Amino acid sequence: MIRLRSSLQIPIVKKVLAANDLLAEELRSKFEQAGLFVVNLMGSPGAGKTSLLERTVDRLAGRCRVGVIEGDISTSLDADRIARHGAPVVQINTGGLCHLDAAMIHGALDGLDVSSLDILVIENVGNLVCPAQFDLGEARKVAVCSLPEGDDKVLKYPEIFSAVSAVVLNKLDLAGHLNFNITEFSRNLREMNANAVLTEVSCVTGTGVDRWVEWLLHTAAEEKSS
Amino acid sequence: MHELTAVSRILEIVLHEAETAGATSVSVVSLVNGEWSTFDSDCIESYFRILAQGTPAGNARLAVETIPARYRCEDCGNVYAPSDGVFACPACPASKATLISGREFYIDSIEVEFADTDCEESPGRK
Repeated sequence: MIRLRSSLQIPIVKKVLAANDLLAEELRSKFEQAGLFVVNLMGSPGAGKTSLLERTVDRLAGRCRVGVIEGDISTSLDADRIARHGAPVVQINTGGLCHLDAAMIHGALDGLDVSSLDILVIENVGNLVCPAQFDLGEARKVAVCSLPEGDDKVLKYPEIFSAVSAVVLNKLDLAGHLNFNITEFSRNLREMNANAVLTEVSCVTGTGVDRWVEWLLHTAAEEKSS
Repeated sequence: MHELTAVSRILEIVLHEAETAGATSVSVVSLVNGEWSTFDSDCIESYFRILAQGTPAGNARLAVETIPARYRCEDCGNVYAPSDGVFACPACPASKATLISGREFYIDSIEVEFADTDCEESPGRK
């Protein structure tokens, strides 16, 4: 008698986040069928994501129908702010998790009538790392960065800044008080991500917000016609 | 940061594939991890040791292949890896680039073993 021990290599090639990606693709199809342009808005806590959305909702009033999904670890403070500007909004509380995932968006859609919207902005949890990895079914990823964070953020968080279609640089009104080199920031971004459109804004004074809104409308129209 | 969840998912996939193949144990798990996947390979290995204990993958070796972040210069077409926070194309002065690899995170393959089987020696081998 001889004893045989056999082994085998099995190819798998399966993404570890395949379950999230599959659900995100379902969401993307649903959004496309509804003619809805979806943005995944990411950035540090305090960068001004909600402030930008308040301004955006105001600017888009009467021009297109915009809805918001707010992602935070706790509280409905951000959703309350958006609601005061008259846009339909759903708050997700992740209860500690530092990013949104496709399953959370799937659940949040129960509270939104996507057929009544043209643009949906999903404000991710304030974080410059993990949100970049989780597909939410969006058409575009956008990052908000602000002057007090420092002009080195593009270099220090390449995962997120390499993945976005646009960057909104906020708090321009503080430029005179800070050593933020906008030229350097812009060059670093271009070198890393040639396709990212940079818009400098101040959500306090309103400077540049129209340019951001025009990018949003233009990209939404472009996406619908493609 | 999410390595624990990721390792649970990796183990789930690995054990399912091994069971489907009728294997008794897993000897190697080959994982591909991009430099900018946001998942830390050392952390993944530590969690894998703990979570795989008592499963058919308990003695498996986790082989992690790291895919470096690479950019392609939109001006000159050069493909390069950034070094020490320098993302500019090293081959041309006015560079602008796009990321082409480094975000991968997937199980490439597994090696499994099957139960020992007893066979009659063939007469020719006597």
